[in-house]
Amino acid sequence: MARLTRARLRRLFRRESIGVDFRSALGLVGASVKYLSFALLAPTAVALFYSEPPWPFLGAGAISFAVGLAIERAGRHGGHLGVREGFFVVSFTWLAAAGVCALTYLLTGEDQLAHPIDAYFESMSGFTTTGASILTDVEGLPNSVLFWRQLSQWLGGMGIIVLAIAVLPRLRVGGRQLLESELPGPEIEQLATRIRDTARRLWALYLALTLIQITILAGLGWTRIDPSMNLFEAVTHSLTTMPTGGFSTEARSAEAFGAASQWTITIFMAIAGANFALMYRALIRRRPGVLLRDEELKVYVVLLLAATVALTAILLGDDIFGGEQAVRHAAFQAVSTMTTTGMASTDFNAWPLLALVLLIGLMFVGGSAGSTAGSIKVVRHLLLGKILRRELDQTVHPEVVGAIRLNRHPVDERILRAISSFTLLYVGLFVVGTLLLVVDADRVGLNLRLIDAVAAAATTLGNVGPALGIAGPMGSFEPYSDFSKLVMIALMWLGRLEIVPIIVLFMRQYWRA
Amino acid sequence: MVGAGQVGATVVEALHDEHDVTVVDLDSGRLAALANRFDVATIEGNGASRRTLQEAGLLESDLLIACTSRDEINLITAIFSRNLAPETSTIVRTTNEEYLEVWRERQLDVDFMVSSELETANAVSRIIGLPAARQTDVFADGQVQIVEFDVVEGSGENGVVGVPLRQARIPRDSKVAGIIRGDRMILPRGDQTIDVGDRVVIIGSPEAARVWGEALSEDTRRLDDIVIFGAGRTGRAVARALVDQGLRVRIIEPDPKRAKLTAAQFPTVRVYEATGLDPEFLERERIGQSRAAVFAMQDDAKNHYAATLSKLHGVSFTIAIVHEAASTEVFERAGIDVAINPRQVTAEEIVRFAHDPRTRQVTMLEGDRFEILDVTVRPESEYANQPFRTMPIRGALIGAIVRDGQAIFPHGDDVLRAGDRAIIFTESARATTVEKAL
Repeated sequence: MARLTRARLRRLFRRESIGVDFRSALGLVGASVKYLSFALLAPTAVALFYSEPPWPFLGAGAISFAVGLAIERAGRHGGHLGVREGFFVVSFTWLAAAGVCALTYLLTGEDQLAHPIDAYFESMSGFTTTGASILTDVEGLPNSVLFWRQLSQWLGGMGIIVLAIAVLPRLRVGGRQLLESELPGPEIEQLATRIRDTARRLWALYLALTLIQITILAGLGWTRIDPSMNLFEAVTHSLTTMPTGGFSTEARSAEAFGAASQWTITIFMAIAGANFALMYRALIRRRPGVLLRDEELKVYVVLLLAATVALTAILLGDDIFGGEQAVRHAAFQAVSTMTTTGMASTDFNAWPLLALVLLIGLMFVGGSAGSTAGSIKVVRHLLLGKILRRELDQTVHPEVVGAIRLNRHPVDERILRAISSFTLLYVGLFVVGTLLLVVDADRVGLNLRLIDAVAAAATTLGNVGPALGIAGPMGSFEPYSDFSKLVMIALMWLGRLEIVPIIVLFMRQYWRA
Repeated sequence: MVGAGQVGATVVEALHDEHDVTVVDLDSGRLAALANRFDVATIEGNGASRRTLQEAGLLESDLLIACTSRDEINLITAIFSRNLAPETSTIVRTTNEEYLEVWRERQLDVDFMVSSELETANAVSRIIGLPAARQTDVFADGQVQIVEFDVVEGSGENGVVGVPLRQARIPRDSKVAGIIRGDRMILPRGDQTIDVGDRVVIIGSPEAARVWGEALSEDTRRLDDIVIFGAGRTGRAVARALVDQGLRVRIIEPDPKRAKLTAAQFPTVRVYEATGLDPEFLERERIGQSRAAVFAMQDDAKNHYAATLSKLHGVSFTIAIVHEAASTEVFERAGIDVAINPRQVTAEEIVRFAHDPRTRQVTMLEGDRFEILDVTVRPESEYANQPFRTMPIRGALIGAIVRDGQAIFPHGDDVLRAGDRAIIFTESARATTVEKAL
């Protein structure tokens, strides 16, 4: 270890030696917090409507507005915001947003959310659209708090769309860099030229899809096709479907609803897991041909169908459900898990081991790149498969030069390398997370099966939601120790931001000029 | 003519007899060599200079040929020429496919553009399409194909060889234009037979030519696994032409960057990053099992070595792209089946355009013993308005006519009309007589 002399320290912390425009980045995080505080007006309105106290939301809103403004002021304006600052902004925006949300929960004074780590877990689970919950009695919360909890996922989803389609590609992370290279031509260039434009267009699509789902679900309730569905449920569940979130206002999640509602949610979960940029081109630009030509979408649909068929077979074989029920629950769980939504139409905790292993496997698949889904994502699996095939080919034919293509365009070797290393990081984090959960459970004397720990690590890193055992679809993460909760908070955060932007912050090369 | 390199010299050789040629080049040595061999005027200077062009007599000339090895010089020369002498036709040689594309879209004000790579690629793909062919060429935008086949042992049992032509099963839309037996040329009459050891010249539709190729080839399998050595511009152009024919193509390229580029360009082509000179590699990848190999590397000696090595490994049909004028003979003597000189091919294209406007195209067969002419029939010709049955045979045969842009393969009752383009097979000695008669 090098000796830390005072001179060295001073040199280390002299601003000139730091290669990141820290203050500008911080300013942008502050601004995000400031704007987020306005979102708290929505639960305030709901609180007033249901004659519940609006103060937690107004209070949290006022505090976060003030803090956000202060940070923004403390930061620098007009500074250089480049790729490096981008990593910082992205990582800290999610931490800060979850902080605002946690503050709201703490101010509500609800017993279930009184512990700061619990409140922060629930908030991080919301803004990362995970859907894992520490609540033990969801229905005991006031409507306004429930609404805010659902809305946190919807807002998180908005952030993810911009992140996935406009921001991460610029940081050379994530799946969208593929889209940039695979879809040349003015149209996509225009889409990407300005983040703000891209964001507005895709948010419009996101909002439209949410409104359509609300209309359909509310319509099902209103026409008494599904009497268990009312306007509040329609709104709150639509708010967590499009962002592939999975929070529910019902203790039994989607099990509380009828078949028609469950099928509707299944379809919208599948839509939410598809690439938004692609959907934008197909629906708004009226070029449905792009859907048929997209390799990732094809694989995505095939995987969803295959998983549904396999689960149906298991359910029928073990005589758990029969007929339409088997297909419906298989489809719902398959789509919900693979798109990393995490709602449940039944308590799959009780399903046979084979089904559970299949579901855990789906947690590692994820949705399409450019969607709100988390996990590794279909396009990476697709390209990893192609890389593997090329490796095997080159074992036999060492001189063969193979270009790996996606949608018929060659994919840059650097992107392929990034995909391989991302997947390694992902699996590595999953293993470390599982180990920490197992060791910690042992330490505090929590009865945790290995499969439960595996599911908990996979579900939080993949932003899915429910795990197995105590934290199953109808259960809660509340029994886990504070340390385990912190581990899972970190996993959610890392998984949501595609790991790399956060990891680089811990590297010396990142901070060096 | 601007440019006195290999292309220029070949063109001069073909044109100097009937035309007044002035050659412009920067290299006085080349010019002197040309002036010694042919009766041409030479000017030492830059072709892309207006003063030089005027000095060379551009204003009084009918045709400007820009065939230096540099595309941009050729283009600038043509542009200057168009400005100075709008009446003068221009021919530009290019190596850049994009320029060719732009010209085809009529965005470049040039009368004729020829690309060595593309002409070479087409030549290779024509030969590979017809494995038994010694030589082949197309007329009338590819509607009519002329092929010279070797009739080898084992090509019997197809209803063509050893049977009088009257009874022979001649593929539709085709005609036997001539039978070459030793030094003699036999005009095909009904009682004539095609024998093993002959060479036959066929004129017909490309489809008929393919059927002929299958009938006369000892190996009826199509050449479908082709290995190309070298992914330079020529190699890639050849690959493109073969892939477009639906053939399975493999490419061997030593340069890693170029190999990668080629792999990205051709999804269906297998690209190896290797020299192709390593026996172990050839063995491992079973290059010997390929049906044909094309050698398109930069260096003739390397091509020669690689071709011989591939032959050793069992490749049955080898085509080499040669760059030195003398190489063709060396290659063919060494047992390489076909040697194609891109400069030669390019020069031929240029000569075709520069030829008598009434004669659209000339192809030489058997060295220069026979010619294929593409002549437009004059109204006052003695053959005009005669049915083919009654035409006297005078050592020439009309294999096809092109009427209103459509190729017709005439039967006895068809009538030759004024304005028809006749595609004629004849001995070179008679070419002038035939042209006059029509």
